[in-house]
Amino acid sequence: MIELVDVHKGFTVRDRKTRRKKRIEAVRGVTFSVCPGEIYGLLGPNGAGKSTTLRLIAGLMQAERGRLRVCGFDAEREPEQARACIGYLSGDLNVYGRFTPREFLKLFGQFQDMEAHVAEGRAQALMERLGLLDFMDVRMEGFSTGQKQKVSVARALLHDPGVVVFDEPTTGLDVLTAKTVLDLLRELRAEGRTVIVSTHVMPMVEDICDRVGILFDGILHGDAPLEQLLSDRGARNLDEVFFQLAAGEA
Amino acid sequence: MRGALLVCKKEFLELSKDRRTVFFTFLLPIILYPLLIAMVAGLSRTDEVKRQGRASRVLLVDPGGLLEPLLRAEPESFELVSPPAGDLRRAIRDQRLEMRIQVEPEAPLKLKRQQTFTITAACDPSEDASGLALSRLKRVLEKQNHRWVQERLRQAGASLELDAPSRLETLEMGDLGLKVGRTLGAFLPYLLMLMMFAGSMQHGIYATAGEKERGTLLSLLSTRLPRHQIIWGKLLYVFSVGLMSAIINLLSMGLSIGGAFKGGVAVSGGSLADLASPAVLGLTFLLMVPLGLLFANFIVMMGIRARNSMEAGTSIMPGMVVVMVMAVFSMAPGIEKMPFLPYVPILNVSLAVRKLFSQQGNAFEYGIALAMTLGLAAALTWLSTRLLNRETAVFTL
Repeated sequence: MIELVDVHKGFTVRDRKTRRKKRIEAVRGVTFSVCPGEIYGLLGPNGAGKSTTLRLIAGLMQAERGRLRVCGFDAEREPEQARACIGYLSGDLNVYGRFTPREFLKLFGQFQDMEAHVAEGRAQALMERLGLLDFMDVRMEGFSTGQKQKVSVARALLHDPGVVVFDEPTTGLDVLTAKTVLDLLRELRAEGRTVIVSTHVMPMVEDICDRVGILFDGILHGDAPLEQLLSDRGARNLDEVFFQLAAGEA
Repeated sequence: MRGALLVCKKEFLELSKDRRTVFFTFLLPIILYPLLIAMVAGLSRTDEVKRQGRASRVLLVDPGGLLEPLLRAEPESFELVSPPAGDLRRAIRDQRLEMRIQVEPEAPLKLKRQQTFTITAACDPSEDASGLALSRLKRVLEKQNHRWVQERLRQAGASLELDAPSRLETLEMGDLGLKVGRTLGAFLPYLLMLMMFAGSMQHGIYATAGEKERGTLLSLLSTRLPRHQIIWGKLLYVFSVGLMSAIINLLSMGLSIGGAFKGGVAVSGGSLADLASPAVLGLTFLLMVPLGLLFANFIVMMGIRARNSMEAGTSIMPGMVVVMVMAVFSMAPGIEKMPFLPYVPILNVSLAVRKLFSQQGNAFEYGIALAMTLGLAAALTWLSTRLLNRETAVFTL
């Protein structure tokens, strides 16, 4: 279960031209929740605050205001416990190139406080599911982007997390690899996990997400099933919703 | 602490996968120093043997023929050559001869009249062979002068001991070990500091800014490991590599020098044990631990703040320059007498080590150096832990 109530997050950046500090509100009063057995799609244009929201949920950043609970743990007061039940994946995450997937997953099993034989078994099962079992003992520095992303998926799911946070998981992946990731997300939902995904790929949202939230300029617009979101705004598809938001009709 | 050890283990595992880096960090010094030092020692020995075994080529201008028989009597030391073509200075520089000896024409007459005559030796003492020729000439002349004086005394019917009212006999009371200790103490802190800093710098950059750059730091931060344990793990790694690198380099260098110049004032394993007791070595090591931690903290802190490896490298470099300058400063003779030195961080470690090796250890100064370095290391650990906890350390905005 993920719960966000009036969450705010901003950054201070320096304007290179004026040399003055500038405040950017990345997330402004976002409130939504994701239940177990549900895939929540977080949409929005670049810079809308999607990654920041997911990083807040994953415990990589701290909210300035509001309440954020993951698996019943307060993300601010109990960050380690909250992180322990999250599997986080982002498109810009990488793997340790000098390691083989077996060594890499073993190491992360230790980081997640898993027993060695449990981690080994789970790594084996995940790699088999992702079609990389033959590469278990090959150094990852020569892996393709898709292969590395698959290993990252295995790393994120290794400790059997109750909450799965995937930030643009199919970016840069070919159709086949993207399909493997999407199939896996469906399986995770079927297993009763709480899944939240951010993406730009509309067909993916229509395909797998149970509910959708659109972030625009740090504000969440709509938090409903896709059909309801479209009918509420009188739009035929998500692209139209985007254009409406961009035109300030929200 | 389990998390910190795991992160440290991960760093070492990653390092172990890079055979070239392992080779250059830990194995090359073991091979390089013995090879280099053996080569230098071999060359200098060969050169010395060659020089000693060869007669010095001397141009003798001796109209009275006073010196010629003396030099000809020692063919293994002198070879009389004919005047070289061109400039004499050039001939010596080009090593066509080693020295020109000019005896004044009236020398035999002056000797007979019991007057002093002049012998002029033109040589270049900066050239080893030329210097050797001069010392050979001095030896021959000293012996001959003594004979001439004895002859004069005999003619005068005076005591043969007239020219030597006293004789100086010296008994060496100095402790060679102490002398070596002082020399060692002067440059050991410099070497230790430099090797510890330089040895850990690249590893620190790789483990911090490098990890950020490669996109693997977020994976690590997204685990259940508390952040302070992640930074402690990285610190432990950088510190261990620095210390190991310094110890390996020093041992390799020391043992190689000892092996190459047996019996000299060099640092050999055996002589090191003689001059530096386990207590001295232990106390030195004890000082190096917080100093290494201090360096590791600085490197990790700069590495974490940097956006990429290049930025990390350029921001750490001034720190290295400061350490180098301090280390060089600490080698200056008489520096230990400065009263404020025990209160200057890093320099006080140098001073304490110098005094330990010269058996002038001062418990108060040692205590201050240890406490100050420990305090600074602890403060920097606290600061670097706080820095990693800042989001700006991880996410570049």
